[in-house]
Parts: sequence; C-alpha cells; structure tokens
Amino acid sequence: MDHETTTRCTALDERLDDYVDGGLTADERLALDTHLAGCASCRLRLERERELRALLTDYRAATPAPAEGFLAAAVARAARQGRREQRRRWLGAASGALIAASLALWLVGAPPLSQAPAPGLPGITMTVAEPHTLRLLFDSGSALADARLTVELPPGVALAGFPGRREVSWHTSLEAGRNLLPLTLVAMDGAGGELLARLEHGGAERTFRLQITTRTHDAKETT
Amino acid sequence: MSPRDDRARFSALLEPELPRLYRLALRLTGTRVDAEDLLQDVLLKAWPMLDELEALDQPGPWLARVLYHRFVDERRRFARRRLRIVDEAELPAQRIDALADSGDDLHDYVRREQLALLEQAIESLAESQRLVLLMHDVEGYTLPEIHSITGEALGTLKSRLHRARRRLRELLPELAGDGTIS
Repeated sequence: MDHETTTRCTALDERLDDYVDGGLTADERLALDTHLAGCASCRLRLERERELRALLTDYRAATPAPAEGFLAAAVARAARQGRREQRRRWLGAASGALIAASLALWLVGAPPLSQAPAPGLPGITMTVAEPHTLRLLFDSGSALADARLTVELPPGVALAGFPGRREVSWHTSLEAGRNLLPLTLVAMDGAGGELLARLEHGGAERTFRLQITTRTHDAKETT
Repeated sequence: MSPRDDRARFSALLEPELPRLYRLALRLTGTRVDAEDLLQDVLLKAWPMLDELEALDQPGPWLARVLYHRFVDERRRFARRRLRIVDEAELPAQRIDALADSGDDLHDYVRREQLALLEQAIESLAESQRLVLLMHDVEGYTLPEIHSITGEALGTLKSRLHRARRRLRELLPELAGDGTIS
C-alpha cells in the first residue's frame, strides 16, 4: 500500500460517518468514491458501516411496543386530567377575582385612592341558604400593583370558597380598565349585617361598606 | 370549541408522534412501566399547549424535548424505581422480540442474534454516547433536532455520535459486509 493510498484510507476513516450520512460536498464524495473504486479494504469497511446502520434501523423495529391500548388510553387520560386541571385553574382565578370584585363596587365612581372615600352605603338583599353573586364593575384609571384587600363578613354570611371565615385577606395586582367580577356570598341565617372591604395600597387605605339584608323564603326582610 | 373537538385535535396531532416518543421514553428509563409514566407526564404537559403545538411544523421534537427534560428532572426517581424487581420481559436482553418475521427462519435467527449483540454493545456505551446514537441512528432525529431536545452543543453531539459509532465498530468486529456475523 503506497503512501497516497494510505492517506486516502485515513481520509475515509475520518469521513466515513459523513460519507454514509450524506454530509460531504460533491467534490469530497467524488474523491472518496475514486479511492473506494480502487481499495477493496475500504469498500469492506464501508459495507460494514452500512450493515451496522441497517442493524441499528432494525433495532428500532425490534423495540417492544407499549402495552396494547396504552397510547390511546394515555391520550384519553391526558385530555380528562387536562380538563380537570383547566377547571381547577378557572376556579382559582375566580377566587382571585373575589378581591377585585369587592373593590369594584367600592371604586366605581370613587375618587382616587389617596383621596377621601365616597359617601353612600349600597345594600343587597339575600335569601338564606341561597348563593348570591354580586356582579361588580371595577373601572380603575390605573393599575394597582401589590394591593391588599381584606373582606370582613357579618356573622351568618360566608364567602364562597372560605367557609367559616369571618375575615379574608389577599394580596393582588389589579389591572387598569373595566372589570366585571363576581363575588359569591351565602347567608347562613337571617341576621344580615354589614360587609366591610378594606383596600390598602401604597400606604393608603380605603374602606367600603355594604349593607346585607337577608330573608328566608317566607319571612320578611331583616338587616 | 367543544371538549370533544379538543380531544380529537389532541389525538390527531399527537398520535403519529407517540410510538417514537414512547421508544425514546423506554430508552431513557429502561423499563416499560417507567416509560409509560414518563410519556403520560408529557401528554399532561402537552394538553394545555394544544394551540401552540398545532402551530408547529413538527410537534415531535418539542414533545421529545419536554420528555427529555422531564426525565432529567426526575432521573433520581426513575433510578430509584429501577432498583426493584422487574418483569423479565422488561430486561434489556429480552427486548429483541418485536422484529417482524421474514419467513426465513435462519435469517430471522441470525438477525435476532445480531440484534442481541448490538444491544449488548449499545448498553456498554457511555450514557451520553448511547443517547445520541439511539436518538440519531435508531430513532432518526437529526443532530439539530437533538440539539434542540437536549440543549447540548452541535459539535459535542457530533463528536459523541462519532465516538459511539467507532466504539460499536470495535465491539462488533465480526460484523461482515454480507450482513452476517462470521
């Protein structure tokens, strides 16, 4: 084997992967093809390499398949659990929205937070043991980041999602613009009373009061 | 869009990808049970991404990337679970069962023997070399796709692949050009 042949055999050693993978330029491939035509040893090496690649491809085909029905069942499970998770997130978002919801009624038409609160005491009437959702419009001129809202409930009125709690606080960031938000309350008895919502933001504090009147299906209203 | 429509879209998009994804999970975890768990995790992560996945030309590499990183994150859990009694059918040496019969018993016998030797050789590779070899030469992912899946540099991947093939050639010197083990 002369020096030139040895050099080209070395070249095939170095470029064998690229040759089989089709990663050579036309000129590089032509040079190796020319060498291969005259070198039985390199032709054998190339054949072995191709055989190895074919064996690797067969190896894929020989890999066991998953248990019968697993893939379809896995897709169905993902869809089912995904929907459950989606619903859970929506409910979580709804709980977060309670904060903004309480603020909404308070801030509609109210002066900026740093100014004095607007007068007036709005009220609602609820039927005992029936959920009552306030749909509150919150129209804020600017975003309120890291605000803290506290809702204090009268005895006998519960906030959905927080059974048994007389006071609930959240940290939240409110967006600028209009928001229509739900706040679901349940009256447990006919006592009624005053709901208080307190917003703290940037050192300022505002308090909002809502008069809750309750009634049973048959009884007259109480406050 | 109704829930049923979402499910149909999800199935249509993912089902063509699942066999290859399952094989990748099997190669990473080593057992059928863990592969199924891993794939299930990936599907759960994919569900909320349905719209984004539909916008991709090929969701396969994205899914493989999620699967790979999930495996890396949970590697200890899978390693712990490997230390248990497994079904004999899950053991590496027993995996060469699915090759379709050619009708030629001798040919099939020789091919299975070759595949068993190949599997032993693959198992003996360093993990990083084994992974790139399996992904590229067995599963057909391109090097840029493997780069996108694993985050490893292209040059590193190419070098590992080269070394893995060279090692296989050393371990299988009897692989003859006529397709038989001499």
